[in-house]
Order: sequence, then C-alpha cells, then structure tokens
Amino acid sequence: MDFLQRTLDGLLEAGPYALVGLGLTLGFGLLHRVNLAYGASAMLGAYAGSWLHVRLDWPVWAVLPCVVLATALAGLYVQWLCFPDTDRATGSVQRASSVVSGADSREVVALASSFAVWMQLEQLCVNLLPRHLNPFPDIASTHEWSLGPLGLRPDRLVMCIAAAGLVMWVARWIHTNRTGLALRAAADHPLAAHLSGLRVPQLQRWGFVLASGLSGVAACAVLALEGQVTPMFGMWMLMKGLAAAMIGGLGNLRGLLWSAALLGVAEAHAQALFGPLGRDAATWGLLLLALLLRSARKTSWAPAGGLHA
Amino acid sequence: MLEIRELACAYGKIEALRNVSLSAKAGEVTCLLGPNGAGKTTLMMTLAGILQPTHGSITFEGESLLGLSPAQIVDRGLALVPENRLVFPALSVRENLMAGAYRRKDRAAIASDIEHQLERFPRLRERIDQLAGTLSGGEQQMLALARALMSRPRLLLMDEPSVGLAPKVVAEIFGIVRQLHAEGTSIFLVEQNVHMALKVAQHFFLLQQGRVTFSGTPTELAEDDVIQRAYLAGAERKPEATEA
Repeated sequence: MDFLQRTLDGLLEAGPYALVGLGLTLGFGLLHRVNLAYGASAMLGAYAGSWLHVRLDWPVWAVLPCVVLATALAGLYVQWLCFPDTDRATGSVQRASSVVSGADSREVVALASSFAVWMQLEQLCVNLLPRHLNPFPDIASTHEWSLGPLGLRPDRLVMCIAAAGLVMWVARWIHTNRTGLALRAAADHPLAAHLSGLRVPQLQRWGFVLASGLSGVAACAVLALEGQVTPMFGMWMLMKGLAAAMIGGLGNLRGLLWSAALLGVAEAHAQALFGPLGRDAATWGLLLLALLLRSARKTSWAPAGGLHA
Repeated sequence: MLEIRELACAYGKIEALRNVSLSAKAGEVTCLLGPNGAGKTTLMMTLAGILQPTHGSITFEGESLLGLSPAQIVDRGLALVPENRLVFPALSVRENLMAGAYRRKDRAAIASDIEHQLERFPRLRERIDQLAGTLSGGEQQMLALARALMSRPRLLLMDEPSVGLAPKVVAEIFGIVRQLHAEGTSIFLVEQNVHMALKVAQHFFLLQQGRVTFSGTPTELAEDDVIQRAYLAGAERKPEATEA
C-alpha cells in the first residue's frame, strides 16, 4: 500500500515539474538556446511577489499576476542581454552575412552570458530580501481526501490537472494558431522565415517573453503551495526544469508530461528508500539514462527542428 | 519595374558586388547568368532585404527598397525563391504554404490560393500533410516556388531553381516558369543552365566577379563568343550531379 501511496504522491509532483519544464522546453524549441538564467528570472519574479506581499501587504490575487509580469520582464532583459536577435536586427552586413552562411558562433557566448545574468539576478533578489526564508502568498490546503487506504491532497491534484492542461493548451496553440505557426517557422528556418515576410526578431523576442511568463506561472504554482521562497529557488527551478525538459526530449511538449510524471514517481520512491539524497540521485540518474539512450540512438535534440507537440 | 543602379555589397572587407546596374521590365522574364562566386546570390539576398548594400540604389515600381526589412519588401510585392529551396523542414507542406501567406490577412483568399497552388503542383497535394524536410529535392523546389507565390508577388525572384535537380524535374520547373510568365507574372531569374534560360527569358545579364559584363536579348546572347564558349558549348558537355 505504501508503494501505491508513494506512486500517487509522485504522480502529483508531476504538475510542478511539467510547469517548470514548460518554459525551458518552449524557449529551446523556439530559439534553440538553453537559457541558464531561466530559474533566476522566475526567482526575481517570486521575490518581487514576496516583497509586495510582505512590505505592501498585497493580497494573493494581486501578487500572482505581478509575479508573472515581473518574470516576463526579467525574461525580456535576459533575451536583450544574452540572446540578441540571431539575424539582421541592426541591418549590418556582417551580422546579416552570418545568416546567409548559417554560421553562428554566438551560441556559446549566449550560454555563458545567461550564466552571468543568472548570478546577477540572484544577487539582486538577495539584496531585495536578504532573509533566507521569505513568505509567499499561500493558497495550499491542509485538507486531504481519502481514497480507501490512500490519501490525496486536493490542492496538489488541482495543480497537476492545471499543469497538464496548460502544457496541452500550449501545444495546441502552437500548432493551430497563426502566431504559433510563425513562431515555429522562425525557429525552424530563420532565413526562410525572413524571406516569407515573417518579422523574425520580434517573433523570437515574443517567444522568449512567452516562455518566461510561463516560468512565472510555474513559480506561482509551486510557491503558492510552499508558502515561502528561498535563495535556492532559482537553482531548483533550473535544475528540475532542465531535468524534466531534457528527459522529455527538449523541445517536445508531450514528452515533457511523460518525463515529469516519471521524475515525480522515481523521486518519491527513491526518497522513501534512500532518503533526501536518494531523491536527487533519482533525478540525475534518470537524466543520465536519457542522455545515454539518446547518445546510443545518435539522435539530436529537437530532431526535426522546431517545437513538437 | 526593378531598377538597380551602381549597387555595391560587401562581406566585411570582401566586395561581393561592384557597381552593378541592371533592370527588369514588367511582364518579362529577366535572367542573370554568371559563374559560381560571381555575386548572384548576394544580389538576390540584397534585393530581398537580407543584406544591406554599401552603395547604390534599388527601386521597385519607383519606390526605393533601401533600408527596408525583408517583411516590408514582401509587402512591396517581391518574393524570393532561394537557392537550395530553404523550405521549413519541420513544418508540413500546408504549413509552409500558409507561412508564405503570413503577411496577408484575407483568410478566404489564402485558402483559395492554397488550392490554386495545389492545382498547379499536384505532387504537393499528395504530400499536403507531410513534413517538407521529407520531400524530394524537386518537390521541395516546387514547394519553395508555391510558398513564394502565396504572397502574390508582382516580381518573383528565383535563385538557381534548377541546381541539383534531375533534367526531368528541371524541365517541369521551367514549364511552370513559362506558365507563370504567360499568366503575367514578372520574373527575375538567376540561372546557370543557359539552355533552359534561353527558352524562357526575354533579356539577359551576365555577372562576373561582382560586375555586369553583358546585357542583351537571347539572340545577342547566343551570338556572343565568350558566352558561347563559357556557357552554351560547355553546358552540353558538362555532366551535372542530380537529385530527383
């Protein structure tokens, strides 16, 4: 029975993992770049929310949209600083020629810059609220439903269903909406997108802000259940998000749902068997396994380019 | 219709185009010939707004195209079918066509134009939900052409549509070029296959090492000794790597 309870608890953890992986999956799918400042942007949004809650005593309904907005703005800042338009934004021949030749040596620079901005944003958060534990508006319920011998937290269930719903909605939107088509086209072949009349720099910027906004939603969902935010939150978001996104196939939205469920269940069982260290070991073990399988199959990330449902 | 005057373009310190002046008339097929590295693709990318010239002017129907973004140039009525097709490989054939009409807002007319392109290219209809990256080279060329036509261009720019394709597919593509010309579409064609180009174009330019070295009609082209030796005679002997 313990096994079933742990499996159920693990499945309910899939909600937060799917949400934190969603922004990274979308960001990678649209820009083909890994944003290391992803967690730090969400952390800045969360700290802004905590500050509004603690210092100005704002209610939860006012704080949560501000968290999403602050995270999206932080994302815009990261995009402007680390992921400038990968094509002719300035109109200079030098920049444009790299599009024609396909040469792009800026990937490594972008990755390193996003690491530096991660540090910068984390420091900004700590300066904003220097305490280790900072209250966050709490909407968690202590109520528990009984399903025979099993216990079920309704707040976790709602979060899990909402997360799955949001991922599926994003997947559908990206594949049925005109702007979604343009975002995928710009990600798939920027030069062909330019020639088709798509405004690639604006689309890339919009996609990045969208991914950041979704990470703000993830931060709200996770922290509203926890009731507090610490300086470790950014690192947690990045690591769990990366693990969920990479195990799911980085750029694959349906794979993200499966990987979040797998991650949650594996962690719950590992924690019960080996303690908190076992939980982390399960995460990195699964990630390693996913990398090894990918390497053995010789498949690249985002196999046909773009973002996949 | 299209006037290019003293155009220069460079990649850093390397000059790709030097004082290029040429023009294309409405309703005609104008062909630009030239060897590899002459600057033909650079010229096409400059016309499409991907590259910015360092000197000179480009006017289309009396309006300067300098400083315009690729999207604004598509809005002005130019569409480029690039060399090597450059379709969206992870999008379906239908999505590629819809992306070509992205600047347009008239949904009903877009749906009608997709149907029109599928009538023009029946092989694309068979593969309508297939990913473009899985199409053959010839089918990708047809898709790239159909995608460009989806923006309803007044001047269609085509960069070496025959490169890497089997002779049968090349004949098919040039058949469509003739059909488009008959329908009144103005075409500016970059091509190395002079034999095929002679069948469709009304005016020729030769670009060598970034400069225009010849301008004339098909008859004048066929009578030019240098072109005879470099293109017409050689083209018959030279085998081509092809892809169906």
